[in-house]
Amino acid sequence: MQPLANVTPLKPAARAGAIQIDRVGQVFKTSTQDVIALSDVSLDIKPGRFIVLVGPSGCGKSTLLMMLAGLRPQTSGTILINGAPIPKPDPDRVGVVFQEASLFPWLTAEENVEFPLALRGVAKAERRAKAEDALKLVGLDGFGKRHPHELSGGMKQRVSIARGLVQDPPVLLMDEPFAALDEQTRMTMGDELLRIWSATGKTVVFVTHSLTEAVYLADEVAVMSARPGRIVDHLQIPLPRPRTYEMLSGDAFGSLRDRIWRHIRKSA
Amino acid sequence: MKAATLRRLIVIALLVLWEVLPRSGLVPELFLPSLSSTLIAGWSEAGEYAHALATTLYEVAISMAIACGGGIVLGALVGSLPRPRILIMPMMSSLYAVPLVVLYPVFTVWLGIGSESKIAFASIYGFLPTMLATAAGIQTIDPQLLLAARSMGATLSQRLIRVVLPAAIPTVLSGLRVGGALVIVGVVVSEMLISSAGIGYLISRYRTILDSAHVFAGVLLVLAMAIAFNAAIRLLERKAAIWQTGTRGGQHAIEEIAGSTMQPAT
Repeated sequence: MQPLANVTPLKPAARAGAIQIDRVGQVFKTSTQDVIALSDVSLDIKPGRFIVLVGPSGCGKSTLLMMLAGLRPQTSGTILINGAPIPKPDPDRVGVVFQEASLFPWLTAEENVEFPLALRGVAKAERRAKAEDALKLVGLDGFGKRHPHELSGGMKQRVSIARGLVQDPPVLLMDEPFAALDEQTRMTMGDELLRIWSATGKTVVFVTHSLTEAVYLADEVAVMSARPGRIVDHLQIPLPRPRTYEMLSGDAFGSLRDRIWRHIRKSA
Repeated sequence: MKAATLRRLIVIALLVLWEVLPRSGLVPELFLPSLSSTLIAGWSEAGEYAHALATTLYEVAISMAIACGGGIVLGALVGSLPRPRILIMPMMSSLYAVPLVVLYPVFTVWLGIGSESKIAFASIYGFLPTMLATAAGIQTIDPQLLLAARSMGATLSQRLIRVVLPAAIPTVLSGLRVGGALVIVGVVVSEMLISSAGIGYLISRYRTILDSAHVFAGVLLVLAMAIAFNAAIRLLERKAAIWQTGTRGGQHAIEEIAGSTMQPAT
């Protein structure tokens, strides 16, 4: 008998922003066959880290992100965020930023950012104040009254980020957030994201197709293989911060990117 | 000349022709009474027309509420749930192709020749296009918006009210335009067929005694009703179009700035 086992306190790793992914698998059942999308994925992400998931198309990185967001249950294994499972979306713990700015076109930037608060019946004045803070954080002070169609692609993604951060969750998940942007905007947004990240101390899980973006942004990069998706490499990115544009052409940067590319070429 | 001015001129020209042709004797007054005699006929029986208009408007209002309200609610349900969609949609689509007016005599047997049978007929008549448009509108909603709402913790009813409905408004409005027009048609036609009150009844009664001026006075009232309805819908559409057209413009702007998405420079 071990009665104490039932009341074990949260592990130290269960601090706000910790993500533990333990032997997670995902099987899609179709009418003809079962497709193994993810198999035996384990990752231990410390609070405040910036981790990037890369891999060939269809390797299940977005699926993994959906599972971290509580938008899709895993078939096997466990996912703990702040030490607790995430069976359904929980915006207090996890904010999500999607690919194309998934802003509601009929709402202003401000109202979009307020949306998650409005869902839980937060009072109008408090909502507005929090939205203003979040918009200020992403550098969109004064743009709150505009509708999404009056904003550029980069600005829309800033609004999305503000919306993901408005409830101050310890974890921010980003599913190819800059994929639809042009290269200049993309670079600027990367720097902006790093600034926001270091200002807020969030744990960021970032999915991308771009290896340059991965190495430029990340503390660590998890490389996934083609279906069934599994983690084939987990690199630390020892480049100093703040990251600068000059690093892109450095040897250290190049060899890290090459190492990731070799994995992807092998499995693609 | 601007299109709007030209349109106004055409309307004025038609009104002038309406007055001139019968007066000059080119068209017999029995076929087309002049505009002035039509207005005088209408004015002389103003009380009767007002009473008929009230009856018709009452029937239109109730039918509109049933057809549009029911059409939107059912269309939203059918459009968002896959199983009812598969079961109901093909049925509704083929029902839409049936000339429902053949059912009207049956309604009079069930409900009498008063307002009830008109309301029943016009409601069903206007319900179908509203429902079909709403269901179609809801199916075309960007799933990304629903996923985003879900990630923010929106419940099913919150997603319906805060995402699905506003996103569907443009399509619903185009359904309302057709559905509402059909409600007016349904009410007037059923009044003309079997009835004892309303504008359609007046038109049909004056026709049997070959009083063209009074027939046309009724026709004018129906026209006015249709035009007023159309103007109301246009107003709603303009409000919804603020973001609808804007989105497309915004997308063009992005396409112009960005060539294509970046791929790793490996």
